[in-house]
Parts: sequence; structure tokens; C-alpha cells
Amino acid sequence: MDKECIVFHGSLQQLLEKVEKGEMIPKLQASHAPPCKFWTAFMVINGIRHVVPVIHGPTGCTYSVASAYKMGSCEYRGVPLEPTTCTALDETNVIYGGEGELFKAIKEADRKYRPDLIVVLSCCCSGIVGDDVETVAHEAEGVVNARVLAIRSEGFGGDFRSGYEDAFRAIMDLMDPPKKKMEDTINILGARIGPTYTEWIGDLEEIERLVDAIGVKINAVIAGGCTVEQIRRAREVELNASWCYDWGQKIGQLMEERYGIPYSRTGQPYGLRATEEWIMGVAKPLGLEEQAEKVIQEETKQVKDEVNYIRQVFNGKTAIVEITEFPGPIRALSIARMAEEFGAHPVVLNVHPYTIKERMPSIKFLLEQGQNPEVILTKGLFSLGTFCSSSESEEELETIAAEYDNAIYLGNPQRYPDIPVANFTSPTAYPHYGYRGIRNIAKLLKSAMQNASRPRSRFFKHVLYG
Amino acid sequence: MIGVTTTTDHMAATAETCHDPYLRCAFYGAAETAIGISGCCVLAHSPQGCYLLVESAFGWQAEDYTETEILCTKLCEDEIVYGGETLLARTILEAKSLKVPIVFVLSACGPEIVGDNIVAVCEEMQSKVDFKVIPIECAGFRGSQYDGVDIALDVLLKNLVNDQRQKITNSVCLIAPHANTNPTWMADLAWVKSTLLKMGAKVVTTLTHRTALSEFENVSAAEKSIVLSHDAGQKAADYLSREFGVEQLCRGTSLPIGFTNTRRWLTELGKTLDAGDAADRLITEGEKMVVEQSRRKGIELYELSRLSTAIVADATIGIPLVRFVTEDLEMIPELVYLTSSPKPAGEILENELRELALNPRIVYHTDVYKTRKSLAEVKPDAIFGSNIEKHAAEGLDIQYIFQLINPIQRFRMNDIEYFGYTGILNLLEIIQNEFGDSYRSKRKRYEARW
Repeated sequence: MDKECIVFHGSLQQLLEKVEKGEMIPKLQASHAPPCKFWTAFMVINGIRHVVPVIHGPTGCTYSVASAYKMGSCEYRGVPLEPTTCTALDETNVIYGGEGELFKAIKEADRKYRPDLIVVLSCCCSGIVGDDVETVAHEAEGVVNARVLAIRSEGFGGDFRSGYEDAFRAIMDLMDPPKKKMEDTINILGARIGPTYTEWIGDLEEIERLVDAIGVKINAVIAGGCTVEQIRRAREVELNASWCYDWGQKIGQLMEERYGIPYSRTGQPYGLRATEEWIMGVAKPLGLEEQAEKVIQEETKQVKDEVNYIRQVFNGKTAIVEITEFPGPIRALSIARMAEEFGAHPVVLNVHPYTIKERMPSIKFLLEQGQNPEVILTKGLFSLGTFCSSSESEEELETIAAEYDNAIYLGNPQRYPDIPVANFTSPTAYPHYGYRGIRNIAKLLKSAMQNASRPRSRFFKHVLYG
Repeated sequence: MIGVTTTTDHMAATAETCHDPYLRCAFYGAAETAIGISGCCVLAHSPQGCYLLVESAFGWQAEDYTETEILCTKLCEDEIVYGGETLLARTILEAKSLKVPIVFVLSACGPEIVGDNIVAVCEEMQSKVDFKVIPIECAGFRGSQYDGVDIALDVLLKNLVNDQRQKITNSVCLIAPHANTNPTWMADLAWVKSTLLKMGAKVVTTLTHRTALSEFENVSAAEKSIVLSHDAGQKAADYLSREFGVEQLCRGTSLPIGFTNTRRWLTELGKTLDAGDAADRLITEGEKMVVEQSRRKGIELYELSRLSTAIVADATIGIPLVRFVTEDLEMIPELVYLTSSPKPAGEILENELRELALNPRIVYHTDVYKTRKSLAEVKPDAIFGSNIEKHAAEGLDIQYIFQLINPIQRFRMNDIEYFGYTGILNLLEIIQNEFGDSYRSKRKRYEARW
């Protein structure tokens, strides 16, 4: 293998060890720039119905998140466009502080929109000048009809992940002490879908279908279009399960610690084994193993042909899973696990050390579960500038793929290795999760294999890489 | 007095503290402006969320990512506590690898509040790199995106236009074409350029869109300027007039959308550019073309006659639309809600309303709530606006929504203009399509048998 372009080649465990020692975190700016904490906190609370965010900051932060996660995307989700408001901080507020303005804005939001919940989100401005958003929110709650929460979400105050976690943590303040136990009922944790258009909804629908099949009800998908009322009752469930282990783990862990609600720790249900684990992770604590086993047996029987085909494709192959725009690190590791289950040797390409650092608890969990794939990081991953990085890592991918005799690429069709490419990004390929996911993935692989010798579009490649 | 509600409503708007804004902040407007310089690099001195605003600005200028780079210092808590100047200096040095001619350093709210001196850092680093480094202090709290356009234009002109060059005969500098909410505003710019060419004038600089760095050498040589926005750019025109004697054309004239506005705009240009015949020809041929094309294609918009309408837009599109919908479509504007502030566009709007004998409800610097409430109160038959008003129209059972203004839920591969005569056809096409869509049944009464 061409060693020139490779900066790390080892196992996920070895990469984790390097990251833990502070090695491999790039010093280059903008070589990896996910959204800031404010954006990700907004994404989460945007998944609650009839919530009004009051962003304590200038209009730029406000319009940008509304534009990115609401204005257009709510049409795809079939939900109404609800407000995204702010205090529109200006120079005067920056000098004299904006707590008074914020208090008035909360009252105004309550009067204008009659929401169930108002969430105050601080931005860089209000964070630096020291406006105490939590106290203002607390005081305002006494004079308005809606519940009022505050999240310290100034963009500089943490990585993108801390925004998700702080938002989920804040949501817990809405949960009332349980009046009763809702039998055979669970919450699904870690979703960021409502109007927020970060994930395709098909995976959630497959989870809902499987849960229903084993006789379990869902109280709330937090925060995937749930209501404040559902969140209030969230402590009455028997169990929490995660839509995505990575995003659900913080709130799941906290609800377990604080309220004693067990949390089913399972990975994303890609392939047979992970799907069985996911189902049994819900069924066992609820004493529904028998029903679950029946469902698993029946569903497995129905996808027998597809499973055989997937095994046939993967058998003896190297499955290269690269993390570019898609699938993101956790999904990539789940796909790698599925490829291994069906007989391939997975190689995960360019999982950024930054993301290993930010997702440390989830990565450790996956390692504990026995997922420790081979990982390669290339120089292009650390190049300055988005385009430089993507064009360089494309060339490196092509070089690396050429080193394998019998490989398949799983992921983003915006890459052009000279091996079969399975397009995991297509909306028609969802759900990936569960048994319906197995059917879809078999279809993706079939298309990749049958069309492997067809030339790729020179037009698309030229657009992407010049 | 016509438009008397303006002052009252504006005051009401400012008295409120909870805004659902239509506009981004100054940082974004400055980024839009800087990115219009070809082959440049824009370095956001900011946390990484603001980088996403620069990405949006990149899209608004329809930049090519193989040519233009955007970077970010990705400020975290350490830089807010201890300052981010060292990190900025290091990032400027790293930008050497990009081989760009110029790097614009844009400061966001955080570093400006903690006192990072980006001007000093850029001065210090200038001797260590072989590209120009230009700081633009444009924190979001300094104002709206239109204020940001003005801030950046001011910096560009003061830093890149150094001396008075010999005037180029019939030369024009175009200002702020990007402060226009036509989602493909670059077609408006292209129409202006081609029109000027037909009148014998030469565009020597555009501030900014695909502007070569070398074009700035010609700014002071321009005889005339035209501001292509009612929302931003006037300050730049004033500066050029004051410093380099660049005469502003069409000041106070509504931009060329619809028959009358286009005729007036072209006539004024014809006079000042000594190209009256060319202007007359453009007008005659253009008007004939629109009429004939509408006849041949079978326009069906007569049904809009005397229907009440709301216009919710920036001043650049919104003000000229008032005359277009009133005179050419025979509709009655009852609400004119502009997303920007009353200066300097308010005067133009009030003149238009006076001439047209209209007395709509006017609000400047509107927000989404204020617009929706007014739409609910007035219940116009139609709205000229954006996707935001589409949601309102659906919720309020308003029959027609014509999405002309950004954001719209339509991908456009080809840029289409609203200015000029083809612009009228483009507007008619959108309006007619959305008119037809409004009658599409959302349910099937029965299923087919095959």
C-alpha cells in the first residue's frame, strides 16, 4: 500500500489511544468545522412542538438556524413553520447588557405565540457580556404561561456535541415526577428530528414498527417532534431506548442515574445482529423476550433472500467505509460492523480524530461491544480548506482502493474509487435500520455490483473536484 | 397624507424586544461582499457557527469552491478568555498554502467584544505573507446584513482604491448588486451590464460580484456609479462621489422592475450617458417583445385584476413591485412590508405611493410575526413574498402566494432576472405558475382503474 498519503493505519482502539494522549488533533483551523454549540442546541429543541426559542443574540445567529433547520425543512416533515425569535442584540446591549431586554422578550414571546415552552439560548454576545440567562428565564417563568428553560449555548463555549448534550440535559427539567408507571412503554432518546432536517425519518419509522410489533408503546421521541406533555410524562416509562446510541447516551445515562429508569444500551440496528440486539435490548427489561424472539424469527425469515445476497456480496471482500459528508462517524462504524457480520473485512477511512475526541463515550462503548475495525487516516484529512481537503482525500481514496484486490465502497457517491460504490445516501435507500433496512441495503449492493463496470459520470466528478 | 402609517408602525416595531427576523447580521453582509472578490480567501475570526454564515454568503455570491476558500479560526473558550490574536496570526500564516492574492479577515461578535485587534494583527502579518491581508470589523451586533454590506464596501474602497486615476469616458461602477433578494440576482446585474453596453457605457468595476482584484484600480477612474440596491450601497456611492467625483446615476429612482420603472430608469440613463436614442430603442423593442410574447404564450393573469395584495420583500424588489403589480397587473397593494429600514428607500416608496394614489399599510424593518399578524388582519387575496409567507398563506387561507423573494423552495440552475423586459417575462412566468398551482387539488376524488 502507498504509505506516502497515510498518516495513521491501525485499529480504532489504537486511534482512540492516540487521541486520548492528545496526539493527532489537527492544529489547522477550518480543517474540520461542524456547527458550534448554539446551532446544535437549537437543533435539539427545534424537535419539540410548540416551542419558541428566544435567542439572546443578534439576528445573524437566529435567521441562520431558522433558515437551515426550519423554513424549508418543515415542509418535508409536514409540520408548520413556528417562530424563531431573538432579542436582536445591538452595540448598546453589548455595552450595557441585555438582561432587561431578554426578560421583556420572553414575556412578549409568551403573549404573541402562546407556546407550550420557551427556550432561551445564549449566543457569543450575551455569553461574553455575562447576561445571566438562567436567572432571567427562571424569573420570567413566574410571570408567563409557558414553561421557560435556558441553555448556555454561546458558540465558543463548547464543541458541537456539548450543544446537543446541554439541550437534552435542559429538557430533563421539564420531566415531572412520575404519578404512575406506563406499562410496556418506552421513550426513544437522542433524535434531532422534528422540523430539523438532519436525518431521514425512515429509520425512526422502522424502529417504531419493530417496537409496536413486540407490543411496546412509545411515549415520546425526544426530541423528534415530541410535545412538552410527552416530555413531562417521560419519567413514567419503564425503559429508555436510543434512536442513535451516540446521541441518546447522555440523556439516557442521566435519566438512569437520576430517576432510575433503565436505559437500553445498543448500537444502531444495521444488519441482523445489531437489529436483534436492539430489539432484545428493549424486550428483555420489559419481560417480552418471547414475543421479541417471535418477531425476530418471522422478520428474519422474510429477509432470508436479501441476507443471503448480502453475504454473497460481502464474502471475502474489503468493505471501505469513508466518512465524508455521509455517513458520519457513528453510522460509518455501524455500517462497518454490518459488513463484518456478513463476511467482509471493513476498513474505515478518515474518521477524524476530532470526532473521536468529541464522541469518546460512544467510541468506547462500541469498542466494548467488540467493534474495533481497521482505520486509515490520510494526509488530505488534515489539509487546510474544505475543497483542498476533499480533493486531496479523494485522490488518496482512489489510491488506497486500488491497493485492494476485491473491495467495495460503502457510502457517499460523491467519491470515485475504481471499485463498486454502494450509494448509501439516497433517500430511497431508507430505512437502513432493521429488517426493512436489510432489504434496502441488499438493493443498494445489487445495484453497486451489477453496475460496477459502468463508467462513472465525468461530469459529476469534474463538478466536484475540478 | 399617504404613507402616514409609516412612522407609527416603525416606532411600534422598534418598541418590541422579541424579533423573528428576516435578515441576518452585519457579519453575514460583510462576508457576502468580501466573497464577491474573485479568488479571494475569507477568514472568519469567529467560533465555528459563524463559519456557516460565511458558507451561506458563499452560496449567495454563487462562488466556485475550487477558486475561493473560506477559513475559520474556530474560537473556543480559551481564545475568548485570553484573546484570539495569536490564533488569528497563525491562521493567516497557514493560509499561505492556499496561494490566494488576498485574505479578508472578518471579525465576529466574540472577538470584537473581548477586544481582539484584528487590524493590528493583519498589519503585523502583512510583512510575513505574500498576499494582501484586509481586516473587516463587522461583528454581528453592528447591525443587519445590509449594514454589513456597507461596512465591507467602506473597507474595500478605503483599502483597495488608493489614488485618483484618469477618468475613463462613459465608465460606470456598479454598487451592491448582491443586496437584492431575487434568488438569482446575478441575472439582474448581467442585464444592467448588457444594457449599459448597448448605451455605449463601460462597466469598469462591480462592487462586488466576481470582481477581479485588479478592477479596484479602475474605481476612481469611473465617471459614474449606479447603486443596484435600495437596501445598501448608498454610502459607498456617496464616498466615491466625495473622494473621486464619481457621479451617481438614477439616485432616488425606483429600480427597473415592470414597464414604467424600466422605462424611467432607461430614460434617465439615456439622458446622462448621452444615449437617448439607444434608450428609446431598448424601451420600444423591450415593451413590444413583452406584449407579443405574452400574447403568443397566452398569459392568463387577467383574473388578478383588482385583487388586494401584500408585498413582503426587501426594498430593492419590494418598492419597484408596488408599481408593477398596481399598473401592470391591476392589483391593489394593501400591505407593503419591507424587511429593511426606511433609509434611504422610504422616500422612493412614498413618492411611488403618492403617484399611484395608494395608501397601503407600510412597515419597515418588519419581522415574521408582524407580517403574519397583519396578513391575518387584512387577509389580502394574494402575497408577493417568500417561502416564509407561503407558510403564512397556507395557515391563513390566503389564495395566492407568489414566491419571488429569497428564500424560495425552488432550485434555479439558470439565473433569471427581474430587472428589465425579460425580467417582466420571468416575473409573469413565476406568477402564472404559482397562480395555477394554487388551484391544484391536494386530494384525488377517486382512484383510476389501471
